Amino acid sequence: MKSKRGVLTVFVVFAVLLSIALSGCGGKKADPGPQVSPIRIGIAGPMTFIHGEHMWKSATMAANEINAAGGVQVGSEKRPIELVSVETNEILNVPDAASAIERAISVDKVDFLLGGFRTEAVLGMQDVAADHETIFIITGSGHPQLTMRVGEDYEKYKYFFRTNPMNSSNMARATFLILHEVATVIREDLGFMQPKVAILAESAVWVDPIIAASEQQMPAMGLEIVGVWRPSANATDLSAELSAISASGAHIIFTVMSGPVGGPFARQYEELQVPAAVAGINVDSMGGKFWQTTGGLGNFVSTLNLVGRVETSPHAIDFFDRFMDIYGEIPVYTVATYDALNILVGAIERAGTTENDAVIAELEKTDVPAIGGRVVFTDEHDVTWGPGYVTGLGTQWQDGELKVFWPNGWEGIKYEGTVRYELAPWVVEFWK
Amino acid sequence: MMQFIAYLTRKLSRDFHGEIISLPTRTILVTAFLALLLLPLFNSNTYILRILTLTCIFSIYAASWDLLGGFAGQISFGHALFFGVAAYTSALLNLRLGLPVLVTIPIGALAAVLSGLVLGLPGLRLKGPYFSLASLAFPIIMMGIVFTFPQLTGGELGISGITRLAATRVREYYLSLMMMLTLVLVMWKIVTSKTGLIFHAIREDEITVRASGINTSLYKMLAFIISGLFAGIAGGMYAHFMRVVGPSTLELIMSLQIIVFVIFGGIATIYGPVVGVFILYPLMEYLRVVPEYRMLIFGLLVVLVLRVMPEGISTFVQDLLEGECPRCKERNAFTRSACRICGTDLDSHTHLNFLKRGA
Repeated sequence: MKSKRGVLTVFVVFAVLLSIALSGCGGKKADPGPQVSPIRIGIAGPMTFIHGEHMWKSATMAANEINAAGGVQVGSEKRPIELVSVETNEILNVPDAASAIERAISVDKVDFLLGGFRTEAVLGMQDVAADHETIFIITGSGHPQLTMRVGEDYEKYKYFFRTNPMNSSNMARATFLILHEVATVIREDLGFMQPKVAILAESAVWVDPIIAASEQQMPAMGLEIVGVWRPSANATDLSAELSAISASGAHIIFTVMSGPVGGPFARQYEELQVPAAVAGINVDSMGGKFWQTTGGLGNFVSTLNLVGRVETSPHAIDFFDRFMDIYGEIPVYTVATYDALNILVGAIERAGTTENDAVIAELEKTDVPAIGGRVVFTDEHDVTWGPGYVTGLGTQWQDGELKVFWPNGWEGIKYEGTVRYELAPWVVEFWK
Repeated sequence: MMQFIAYLTRKLSRDFHGEIISLPTRTILVTAFLALLLLPLFNSNTYILRILTLTCIFSIYAASWDLLGGFAGQISFGHALFFGVAAYTSALLNLRLGLPVLVTIPIGALAAVLSGLVLGLPGLRLKGPYFSLASLAFPIIMMGIVFTFPQLTGGELGISGITRLAATRVREYYLSLMMMLTLVLVMWKIVTSKTGLIFHAIREDEITVRASGINTSLYKMLAFIISGLFAGIAGGMYAHFMRVVGPSTLELIMSLQIIVFVIFGGIATIYGPVVGVFILYPLMEYLRVVPEYRMLIFGLLVVLVLRVMPEGISTFVQDLLEGECPRCKERNAFTRSACRICGTDLDSHTHLNFLKRGA
């Protein structure tokens, strides 16, 4: 009897859970607007992580604006946009991502795709999208290989474009330029003409080439390396490393961190009042809820960033403020999905059709201002980096606000709203 | 000639009736297989074929774990070693040397066996939980090697641009389905052979087996090699199907999720893991409609099913629909009153399992 009841329980629970599942059938969808053959656009990302969330939120903003203005002008008719959330789960499970793309194209019938975050997963997603000849604009993964494939086999991979982020080689270049900016402040304010640098880089493979490049570049930049510290990417306590850095006499801490270690570093940097300025990469401090999660102890922490409240384009500050108003969070770099959607819509309108070759030809001609700067595609469909294009930004937390301090005159570029890099008072007090 | 064909038809018909139709679970399995075989004729949606192709590949992988863990009792938490090594080897041979799929997959599987031997020789000297814990380290060591030689392995990014498993999705599906059927049948034949009996015995009482004059270390190593070979074939197929091979093939989740599949389906059965994968993998995909609750629903279902069916769903269903003859130990459908082999009266012994369970 007991067993029969058990089986019955399992089936009842199974039925209830499936009903719950079915009630949400089709997943998250934005307001589809009027029911006139919409253009379905899949937003593909790790939706339970902030990067995927911000892809979706920013795309929703763009879709709502376009639909409110009547939709997309395709030839003689106006068609609304319908967004489809594609949960790729790519951070946790790589095969899941390619399956999600296949489902989006063949079951949800999306016409275009935007997003992608983890490179290993995006490579698989690219192949599936190429098989189905679906245009896919990458807005979250920076590895050069993704667009190199376009150059190597144009016919197969011509459907791919990257609007954001700039590729990782260019990110490394921007990071050294930011370090140069911080070193200039040290020279001007503290009078050390050859600042000493401590490299604090998480223990991860992607960091190794940056350390090797640092060891080559920094002496040429008039900087002296005093040591390299490699905490775990998930470390929660860096007091040993920070004490050692304090004792090393370093004037600058060059951080290279993408993992959760970025938060504890920021907290302990202020708690221990480490007498060194911060420059480099700290993904945790790029935005989102960084200030809340560090309990307000992230002051003076800086990082290479791709989004900031400066006039990188006429609509950048307005977008930044509206995003903050709607969602109450500082946008992270994947909000460039907002621009990707507008760029795609612009190409469709110019082409007057959603047919692939015509849209690709128009996308290749793209030259528009975007949140990160002017977007022009290279021959490999990658976003162009450099003065007058997307540059990247140096951002620093100053009294709870994420301020942009770089570019500050580099190649004549200084965006409206840029401030000077600030040294923490304890750094100035220690060295004066 | 005609007489021979007539004889063959009669024999096949008799075997089909005696060995398949007479047992409900086998009838279910054959019907399911026929349904899978005919599916592309009615629905050739690439997404559905993709999920079923991956399901076939993971079925081979899960059954290979069952051979080692379920039959030989060597519970491995690092089975992804075989899968990952074969995937990387197949990908490299295909990309660098331009070898075709039919060559890269077997060589990949052999490379998996070789790596298993290198790590398994010292590992298999450990027993019980010590072996399980040590096996956790196997794929981690391999991942270290992957990251040490990024020029060769692609490092974090992995290897991409690999040749497809077959030219079209339908062909990939049929290839995987036939491979799954063949390899699972081979594994089933192995575990039901004398060698399989020794694997069983080692799991139950290794000391007694050794006292009987059997070299248990040799047989454990044999189980390790056979299991690694099949897991390697699955890894190679996966590489060519996904067309990207990266460190994710060696991640812990690759080792642990198949254990869930095996236990859910029914451990030490070979066909149980296949049933487990065919239920759980598509279910996980179906639950994409509620991405926020996907893992929660999945976890709850697994826990609930195992609470009621601790020996796995296939064993539960088999016990429900079939009973064992007390005399000849052959299985019979619950509807039979006499054994189909020896004619022993079953009513007084097994009498309608289905009703007995509810009584």
